[in-house]
Order: sequence, then C-alpha cells, then structure tokens
Amino acid sequence: MRATWTILRREVYALFVSPMAYVMLTTWLIWCGVTYWFLASYFVGQQFSGGPQDSPLTMFFGQTTLFYLPLLVFVPLITMRLLAEEHARGTIELLMTAPVTETQVVLGKYLAAIVFWMALWAPTGLYVYLTSVYGHVDLGTVATSYFGILGVGVYYLALGTLMSALARNPIVAAILTFLVLGGLFLIGVGQFLADENRDLFAYLSIWGHMESFSRGVIDSRYLVFDSTVAAVALAFAIGALKLRRIEG
Amino acid sequence: MIEVRDLTKHYGSHEAVRGLTFDVPRGQICGFLGPNGAGKSTTLRMLTGFLAPTRGAISIGGVDAIEEPLEARKALGYMPEACPLYPEMRVGEYLRYRAALKAVPSGEIAGRVESSLKQASVSDVAHRIIGQLSKGYRQRVGLADALVADPPLLVLDEPTAGLDPNQIRQVRELITELAKNKTVLLSTHILPEVEALCDRVLIINRGKLVSEGEPGTLRGQIAGRQVIRLEGRGARGAFEDVLGALPQVKIIDGPKALSGSGEHQIVQARLEAEDPDAVEIVFGAIAKAGLTLRELRRQEASLEDVFADLTTDEPEEPDADDSDLDEKDEEE
Repeated sequence: MRATWTILRREVYALFVSPMAYVMLTTWLIWCGVTYWFLASYFVGQQFSGGPQDSPLTMFFGQTTLFYLPLLVFVPLITMRLLAEEHARGTIELLMTAPVTETQVVLGKYLAAIVFWMALWAPTGLYVYLTSVYGHVDLGTVATSYFGILGVGVYYLALGTLMSALARNPIVAAILTFLVLGGLFLIGVGQFLADENRDLFAYLSIWGHMESFSRGVIDSRYLVFDSTVAAVALAFAIGALKLRRIEG
Repeated sequence: MIEVRDLTKHYGSHEAVRGLTFDVPRGQICGFLGPNGAGKSTTLRMLTGFLAPTRGAISIGGVDAIEEPLEARKALGYMPEACPLYPEMRVGEYLRYRAALKAVPSGEIAGRVESSLKQASVSDVAHRIIGQLSKGYRQRVGLADALVADPPLLVLDEPTAGLDPNQIRQVRELITELAKNKTVLLSTHILPEVEALCDRVLIINRGKLVSEGEPGTLRGQIAGRQVIRLEGRGARGAFEDVLGALPQVKIIDGPKALSGSGEHQIVQARLEAEDPDAVEIVFGAIAKAGLTLRELRRQEASLEDVFADLTTDEPEEPDADDSDLDEKDEEE
C-alpha cells in the first residue's frame, strides 16, 4: 500500500514537471473554453424547455462527442511514459529491484494517470459555476456527468497503461494506445450505423457513455463495463511485467 | 552473504549463464570479472531479483531470493550498469523517493537520505536536477541510492565504467570505505580495479565460472612465468631466427619492425618464459648473433595475463570440450 502511494506520488510529480503536461492542460482548457462558449452562445435567447438535456452543461458533457476527439490523443500522451519510459531509460531495473511487487508498480502508475485525468477536468468546474450564476444548474446531473468522465478515464487510461507495459519505448506505447482507442471510438460510431448489436457498440463508445451520464442517469452497465475492461487491462499489464522478469 | 547454486539463465535458446555456483562471504569485496558479454550483468540481475533464473538457487543473507524476493531485495542495494536515474528529479527528492520505495520508515527517511548523501559525497548537489549532473556525480548519486536503505549488501554493476581517472579513484576509495561494514559484489572488466579493490575474484567466461580466489592466488597460478619485453636494432628476420631458436622462450608477440629498414630496423618482441634465467639466455643469444639490444625487461605476469589465459575464446566445438573433459577424467 505504501509502495503504491510512493510510486503514485513520484509519477504525478514526473507528469507535472514535464512541459507536456502543461501543453496538454492548456490546450484542453482552450478547447473546452471555446466549445463551452459556443454552447452557451447557442443557448442565449433560447427558451429553456426545462428538461435536463437543454442546458449548455448537458450538451457540454454529453451531446457533443466530437469534442472528445482530443482525448484520443491526450490519453496516449498521459499513459505512454508510465512504464515504457522506465524501460527506455533503464530505470525499470531500479524500480523492479526495490522491494515492491508488480501489482504495486502498475497500480501506482495507473492511479497517477487517473489523478492527472482529474486535473485535466478540474478547470471545467468553472463552467458549472458560471452557468449556475446565470441560470439553473442541476447539481445531480453535473455529479453524474463527472462520474461518467471518471468512468471513461478508468477505461481509457487502463488500456494506455497496458500499452505502456507492453512497449519498450514511450512513442511506441503512445501509437499503440492511439490505435486501440481510435479503433474503439470508430466502433462506437457503429451505434449510429448498425441495425443490430447497437447496444454492444454503445458500450464501447464514450459517446454512449456520456450521453447517458450527462442526462443524470447512472447506467450501471457502463460502470461494470469500464471497471471490467480496466481490471483486465491492468491484470495483463501486471502479467507483462512478470513475464519480463522471466523473458529478460 | 550470497550463496548461489547452479544458477542458469536462458534467453530463448541462448544460454547466458550456465550453472554458476559460488559464495560471497560477509564483509568481503568480491570482484566479478569477465569479458563483455560473459554473463556478468545477467548474473547480477538475477541476484537482485530483476530477472528470474531459468534454474538454480539464490540465497541473500540467508533468505531464499526466489521464494521470498521482497525480503531478499530489502537486504541489498543495487546500482545497475550505466547507472540509470530519473533525470527530471532533484538529487534529494530522488533519494527520498527511493528510501520510501525501499520501505525505510517515514521517520528515518530524512536522516538516511542525509547520511547517504554524505557517504557518497554528493551533499553539495542535493538540490540540483539529476539530468544536469556530470557522469561522475550521477554515478555517485547511484551509489547513494544503493546506500539509502543501509542494506548489508551492495551489488554494483561496473561502478567505474565511463568515468575519468580522478572519478574512478574517488569511486574506488568510496567503495573501500563502504566495505568496512558492508559486503560488496562488483562487476568489472577492468583488471587493475580488481587488484586495487577486491578481497576475492570470481572470473566468468561465456556464462561459466572459470576461476575464483584471491587476486594474489590467481596471479600465483601463473607464478614463475615471466613476460620479457625486448627492443633491438637489426633485421627483423634475424631477430625472428635467433629468438625462434631458443627452446626456453616462447614468442607471444612479434618480432615486428617499428621503423628503419634493412640492418637498421627497430624491432620489438614480447616473449614468455618459465626459466628464471631466460633473460640472460636471450641476451647471450642476441649478442652472439651480432644484433644490437636497446631494451630487455622482465615483467611479472599480471592478473591481465591470468585473465587472458582463462577467458581467451577457444573455438567453440562441443567435441573439443568433451575430449578435454574426458582427458581430465582419465587423469583423475
């Protein structure tokens, strides 16, 4: 437990001393700001029907999924370093000869990525405040929206962590993660095209995720899906580290 | 402190380490010597738990390193080859992180970091960013890392590689200092290092232990043998004829012409001999042939020669190996 915490802390530190973290945070903030500004402008002068869908916040969190596309790039950037960089630099040898288990290493690194994910979204809290100043905000819906975002993070970042455990250098890890997430995103689009198995496509897509969460609905199926994918991906990442000890 | 039995590591079909068995007693500095690619790093990586052995047993301070890897790892401080570090961290931060990772109780971390900084003489750079340090400093930060949890055993993989002569001396002094109350296993392919530092030497080649003992004993294995350096003036061919005709000496290098031509060539050669009077014999023969002698020097065989003797690659033919073994068996 203490080892996990120690690794988590160093990893968060390493993320935040890198200039890339600030490039990402700034880009994301601008991107969100512009999107929110458009949504808010669109709502100005329009009549509120009173439904939860008709709020710039709901639109922001759920209805404009194209706005999530940068995440397909950001997630690989967050996770690529986690284990692959340790391999590339050789520091993995120091890490794995300390009295820590593979599970502690993977969990510490993964949780650090989650912390960064939350930092990425934290500034959007400002939009909630601004909207509440000029109109009505359903805090329950906001809470479920953030819950959904955390779910997406749990799901995406675990896949990124796995790719970082498999690759021996961060660039390869980033490309692999991007391909996997991009592939899943495209499959997710299938929910609008396919006649059959629409539900299956919807599980895989963050579109489906966020649409339901942003309306204030906590769909436990998505949560089960997210945590299952995360658990499997992390188990494979732990396995990959164990295999490295044997294979060399 | 370390007990290794039949340690073997295969990478696919390649056997990197083949059935190593050795002990490192408590309180010694033990040198792990071998040419590049002999399996030194692989062995150290197995001892430190970074790699799992294909076969064999390792015990660190009485703890089975394969059954209880975490306990065994707590007893050792490891500095990998090339000394990897996190370049973005400050030295002090890095050591605090490593101390926490190595399960040093929170209350003792500050003190342990302080004293490891002092021991490795890197206190003056505690606030610097590791990536900006010179190689010598980084190497010593690596040592401080190995020391930070105050383990009874230090495993250092080529601790002086890539340092300048001053830094090498500093690191060696540091290791000698540390060995007063720790066991040290260090790998190297630099012989003077072993002679300067170690109480004991393990020589490995192609994954096998080829010799072990004190540096003095190993040199003793070829005691009586001497190397003679010769430089003279005359025709190269004449030197070759004269030296070749002496049954007491064996030419190991040369004779080769350095400069000049004809009768005025400067010729050098290295000879090997067991006869204690070999130098006189060579002198006599050269003088008799009417050649001019510029230098004739006797050298004691160094560990260098032992090493060359033990690890020079003979053609790897399984048949040849087997017949060697057969012969030994018959002798016994």
